Amino acid sequence: MSGEFTRFCKVSELPPESKKAAKLNNTWVLVCHTDGRLFAVSGVCSHQVKPLVNGRVRHCMITCPVHGARFNLETGAALNLPATQPIATYELRVVDDWIEVRV
Amino acid sequence: MNKPIGTEAQNLARGAARYPGAPSTQEIIASDRVKAPGWVCSESYEFLGDEDISTDRYTEAAYAEREFERLWTRTWQFACREEHIPEVGDYHVYDIGRHSFIVTRVAANEVRAYYNACLHRGTKLRASGTEGNTTEFKCSFHGWSWNLDGSQKELLCPWDFPHVDIATNKLPQVRVELLGGFVFINMDPDAPTLADYIGPAAMAHIREWKLEDRYIYCHVAKRLPANWKLSIAAFMEAYHVLDTHPQVSVTNADANSQYDVYGEHVNRFISPLGVLSPHHYGKYTEQDIMDQFTLGDSSALGDATRTLPEGGTARQAMADMFRGMFEKATNTDLGGVSDAELLDCFSYTLFPNIFLFPGISLPMVYRFRPDPRDHRWTLYEVLFLRPVPLDGKRPYPAEPVRLTDEQSFTEAEGMDPGFGAILDQDTDNLILQQEGIEASAKRGLTLGNYQEIRIRHFERAVDRYVGTKG
Repeated sequence: MSGEFTRFCKVSELPPESKKAAKLNNTWVLVCHTDGRLFAVSGVCSHQVKPLVNGRVRHCMITCPVHGARFNLETGAALNLPATQPIATYELRVVDDWIEVRV
Repeated sequence: MNKPIGTEAQNLARGAARYPGAPSTQEIIASDRVKAPGWVCSESYEFLGDEDISTDRYTEAAYAEREFERLWTRTWQFACREEHIPEVGDYHVYDIGRHSFIVTRVAANEVRAYYNACLHRGTKLRASGTEGNTTEFKCSFHGWSWNLDGSQKELLCPWDFPHVDIATNKLPQVRVELLGGFVFINMDPDAPTLADYIGPAAMAHIREWKLEDRYIYCHVAKRLPANWKLSIAAFMEAYHVLDTHPQVSVTNADANSQYDVYGEHVNRFISPLGVLSPHHYGKYTEQDIMDQFTLGDSSALGDATRTLPEGGTARQAMADMFRGMFEKATNTDLGGVSDAELLDCFSYTLFPNIFLFPGISLPMVYRFRPDPRDHRWTLYEVLFLRPVPLDGKRPYPAEPVRLTDEQSFTEAEGMDPGFGAILDQDTDNLILQQEGIEASAKRGLTLGNYQEIRIRHFERAVDRYVGTKG
């Protein structure tokens, strides 16, 4: 069940081609600013629950730095082994210069 | 003009005959307004015999096994581009058969390639076909991990492994060399250097192209329905253009293309475009050639009107038009690029399995690998390269578009549909060729002395590595 939109960070804190992780409502959320778009996904890998925040982002994909699983930032789909399960994706909006995520 | 080769050709030395009455490739290029560099204006043909090529190499699984043992383990192979791994910690997994390697940048100017397997119980440290960035290579099974430099970082419960010395338990490496933005690997510690393997003449050509200043703007992968060597050979000659690609033959000097061999591992053809095929002399006008011109990277031309100046040639008009529009569309400077480099098909093969096309309108890299599950199939990739934009911001290399066996190349996003149609025609031939070779009463392939010299040169290298049966 999705909750309410919650402020994540100011837009200015997330310049192009950067990302940031924070705990919202007890859930690790990762927001990526890439290719001119903002994406909010789970901050942990579905494979072995490792943090994704240091993963490389290219072409709307994030790579888990620990074992190399890749996920589509738009859909959360797992794209290669060792992950087979998707990561959660969250609704995101910008209000008054704030990035808000519904978790 | 399409007259059969007569007795005068038969009196020449073997391999010396050329299409009668047609200008040579060098004569065509010499007429261009923007002159071609030295690497274009040279010839290096060599007659290498006229015996049939045995066909067991295409049909027998045992032959493919010998190739894995003796050829793939001893040759330099393109594993990835440097642009795939620009930052320290970036890695790219390259597979050939059952072999798998993690190619990684361990320092700004150092790339290494490790066997992609944990030294504990063998699990791959990274899945095949993947890339990313990391600070360590950690096995997902029991957590043994290695630093970027290959030294072991962690071993869970070391008390249980007194027989393992962490200080020396490093990831085994294979050799790596960088050339033209390509990362090459070789499993053989005794192999020649990449420069010696390629040879001085071809090395000089490759260094002039500066392919390190290009980026991959489109990457398409698809299986081809034939043995990898048949797939490669299908792209080594322009002799097939008339029948296989009739839509191209009007604008291609197919029968008077130039073929060259360099040492043991490199060969090439130069196939001029924007000129009428000798097969069609007298049947088409210069405007027809202009109208039918197909480019590998035609996106820059859009729907522009193809007007032929009074008294002009289609070749020169296309060169002038393409030069201006391409520069504008891609924010690049082609001032130092000759007309031939802009238009023509320069096809180089680096043994065993890559083609480099250093031209601008046909700017491809092909890679062919045997499908390890079936020697009758090839894993084929085509990469299109473009100059890095003048503002210096290098785009990320394109992700591969993976087509299914049933899909047409024309469905590949980012690739010119006209080019895709050509690849489809080649694919259709390959199905019939693989099956025909298996069905044939004749156990050898017969090759033309000149137009198919690249195939003979290639198969000679295969023979040298794989050897005879046993």
